Amino acid sequence: MKKILEIFLGILTAMGGFVEIGELVFSLNAGAKFRYSLLWVVVLGTVGIIVYGEMCGRIAAVTEQPVFTLIRERAGYTAGLGTLIAANLVSLLTCTAEIGGLAILIKLLFGGNYFLYIVLVLVFLLVCVWFMSFQVIERVFGLLGLLMIVFVVAGVYLTQDWNGVAWGFVPSIPAVETSSDYFVYAYFVVALTSSIMLPYETYFYAAGAIEDGWNPSDITLNRIIVIIGFSLGALLSIGLILIGGSFLKPLLIEPQLPGTAALGPAIVFGKWGLIVGVLGMFFAFAGAAIENALTGAYNFAHFFGWSWGKFRPPKDAPRFNLAWIVMLLAATLIILTGVDPVQVVEYSIIFAVVILPLTYFPMLLVARDKDYMGHFANGWLADIFGWLYFVIILLAALAAIPLLIITHGGEG
Amino acid sequence: MTEGYLDMCRQVLDRQVIDSNHIPCGKVDDIEMNGNKITAILIGNGVASERMPELARAVSRKIFGDRVVRVPWSEVHVITHEIKLKSRAVDLGLDERQGWVFELINKLPLAWKK
Repeated sequence: MKKILEIFLGILTAMGGFVEIGELVFSLNAGAKFRYSLLWVVVLGTVGIIVYGEMCGRIAAVTEQPVFTLIRERAGYTAGLGTLIAANLVSLLTCTAEIGGLAILIKLLFGGNYFLYIVLVLVFLLVCVWFMSFQVIERVFGLLGLLMIVFVVAGVYLTQDWNGVAWGFVPSIPAVETSSDYFVYAYFVVALTSSIMLPYETYFYAAGAIEDGWNPSDITLNRIIVIIGFSLGALLSIGLILIGGSFLKPLLIEPQLPGTAALGPAIVFGKWGLIVGVLGMFFAFAGAAIENALTGAYNFAHFFGWSWGKFRPPKDAPRFNLAWIVMLLAATLIILTGVDPVQVVEYSIIFAVVILPLTYFPMLLVARDKDYMGHFANGWLADIFGWLYFVIILLAALAAIPLLIITHGGEG
Repeated sequence: MTEGYLDMCRQVLDRQVIDSNHIPCGKVDDIEMNGNKITAILIGNGVASERMPELARAVSRKIFGDRVVRVPWSEVHVITHEIKLKSRAVDLGLDERQGWVFELINKLPLAWKK
């Protein structure tokens, strides 16, 4: 019974923690620009995060070694340090964008001063991470992030052309007006894949598995959570594309603010739809801000071998605790300069895809290493998908920066 | 332990070091050798930064200092995915609970609570 509850909570947590501001912005825009024709990318990215999420969870359960320990062992000190710096810059930018998004949401509900809300959000996040245990953080933000299901319901309600939706799951190049639109489409393919496969998700997932004290008997638990939880999470992304394609595109609205997403539930369910949608986003963004701050600290600790973890009293892991505090403070300082959170999101997503291969390659090597993993090493299925997705993210990484420049950040 | 049979690069260098209470206390940043025998593992940015290009080394030492702690090979208890030591971190000079970072974190409310 306890096991079933654990699986159930794990699935819901994985689902609720699936979407953050980057995915929200890119999913909504994907629908608003290209209607349903990017739906197949959600499937592509979700299978990818399932493949690598399963591997890093399995490695953590079997060896108790988190991702950056492996990166350092396999890539060496200098290359590993380069990956660490890049990964933590991406996490910092993601955290920055989430904090900005949170302040925008509060302003949407109550009006008032955006910069004041940024500071309040910082205090809220600091208090939550300091006083809450890992399990409480995981559950509270994961489960309340499930309020975002209102977007799926609204998306389904607003959609009539289900034939068009079905065709969206078949990879194809849509009929567009100008040739530069092809590049914008390609940019969205790369960005949407990246937003779903953000590397911090694997760092955080593996560290969380160790925080939760997983051992080899949890391998089945890991598989179920990753496969079902992430697949259900993808529904949130699909719901946002439907809102973009069925509602925003016909009205020619180009969503620029996270609040635009709430128009969908607001149209369908009125005031309460708006409130539930905004609350769902609030907990999803706050969860992602916390996860990215903690991820930065985990990465430092795992690379340099510090004492780490929320399961230890802070005084026994001082460097780790200082690291996440610094991450939150630095992210707040960046957003206080007045940069547009959505702009920060775009850069963080595109730079994230560049470091994906650097993260996933050492993970793949370790997961298939029989000396290291024993009989828990990759089987043929995990191997095939692992290599396949390594090639896909390599291509995406090579295309990301050129596409960002050619399309002026997706503007065409 | 028969040192000659260890694939040192893979099984020792860059591995996590834990003390007798399972507390992480750094990585094997370098290995001290005498002939083909390992005599000690070296932990600290002083040796880790040696492995970087010159400019990066200077920056790294500015930020993280150049401390090195030498742990004699006889202190190594077991090698698995990690290098487990026979003594406690505090006795080997590897304890994190000192210095300004510790003082700062320890001042915050409930810093002793899990």
